[in-house]
Amino acid sequence: MSRIAPEQLAAGVQDLPSLPAVVMELLGSIEQEDIDISVLAKKVSYDGALTAKTLRLANSSAFGLQVKVTTIQQAITFLGFQATRNLITAAALTGCFPSGRCPGFDDRAFWRHSIATAACARGLARRMRFNQDFAFTAGLLHDIGKLVLVTAHPDAYAEVLAWRVAHGGEWREAERAVLGLDHVDAGVALADHWQFSDTMRQAIAFHHAPATQGAGFLAAIVHVADAIVHGLDLAGDEHELVPRVSGVAWDAMRLSEEAYLHLFRETEEQLGEMAAILMG
Amino acid sequence: MTAPCLPLPLAEIVPGMVLADVLRDAKGNILLAEGVVLTETVLASLARHGIATLPIVQPDAAPPPPDPVAVQARLDRLFRTQDPADESDWASAALRHHLEDYRLRRGAGASA
Repeated sequence: MSRIAPEQLAAGVQDLPSLPAVVMELLGSIEQEDIDISVLAKKVSYDGALTAKTLRLANSSAFGLQVKVTTIQQAITFLGFQATRNLITAAALTGCFPSGRCPGFDDRAFWRHSIATAACARGLARRMRFNQDFAFTAGLLHDIGKLVLVTAHPDAYAEVLAWRVAHGGEWREAERAVLGLDHVDAGVALADHWQFSDTMRQAIAFHHAPATQGAGFLAAIVHVADAIVHGLDLAGDEHELVPRVSGVAWDAMRLSEEAYLHLFRETEEQLGEMAAILMG
Repeated sequence: MTAPCLPLPLAEIVPGMVLADVLRDAKGNILLAEGVVLTETVLASLARHGIATLPIVQPDAAPPPPDPVAVQARLDRLFRTQDPADESDWASAALRHHLEDYRLRRGAGASA
């Protein structure tokens, strides 16, 4: 067994590659409305690759724009500040972690699952009249702790993968058995280190336990979106497994069968388009 | 982008079919542009030009109908840790039920 002590987890998080400063600023201020938009647009536009990826996302059919935006400032004008900030975050995050460090860990399956969960959570939020932009980012980030563990402790995580194949069961079970902690712990450690807002931190912390007192509605949305995406079998993972769905979270959605079937289709379509842009 | 195309003998072509490629005569002159919808008049004229076959756009093949046995087997695998007899896990059962309907194209998703 390769136990990871809390101080090792903290050290691993410190050593992670850092996000562009402007993205850190965006993540920390997700609930702030009074950010100076023109300064932000300028800062992002210094990063050509980030700008290009963000604009391609903004112009994808998932966002339904009638005009083609060619600058960050334009994206903000047409999509709004919150939505644009989410796209910038998504574009930055998907390129930030090195891939292939842990043999057997499928980075593409990880990102397909995360992107699909972001799209599905956004669709759920729209139907629930909840903030769609929070839901998108929380969906994208909910399992980010896995990447923390894979990047900082690749050998130990290879044992987790072997355990999961041998015993079946959920990721968290395998992680706890081998490492003594799981991707939720790692996600929360990263949220603290990268100074995510409290809302995001809670959604990451409670997406497997949305019935916990104080978990918040966003955790329930991400919980249901996560289960739907596992059930839609979109990651291309042979050992795919749907986690037990919380009755409390499911009840909170109050959607009809018809609404679910449309949501499934929408999620599949948006994954195809967004994965092509974000994963190159 | 070239559409999937099917060379058909002129006798089998009916008005309304779509030409998949430009059509030239023996000297290389363009007779018809790609994407033209063939009419009775055009077809008669092509017969006079001695054209024997035409590349025709193949209609979109409908996706094969889902195999209910395969769908159930994969869902059984995805939901393998859930016990159908456990009534307290009704939410997982509800999700599975919607996924079944979606995969088997029953209900609201069927027409899309």
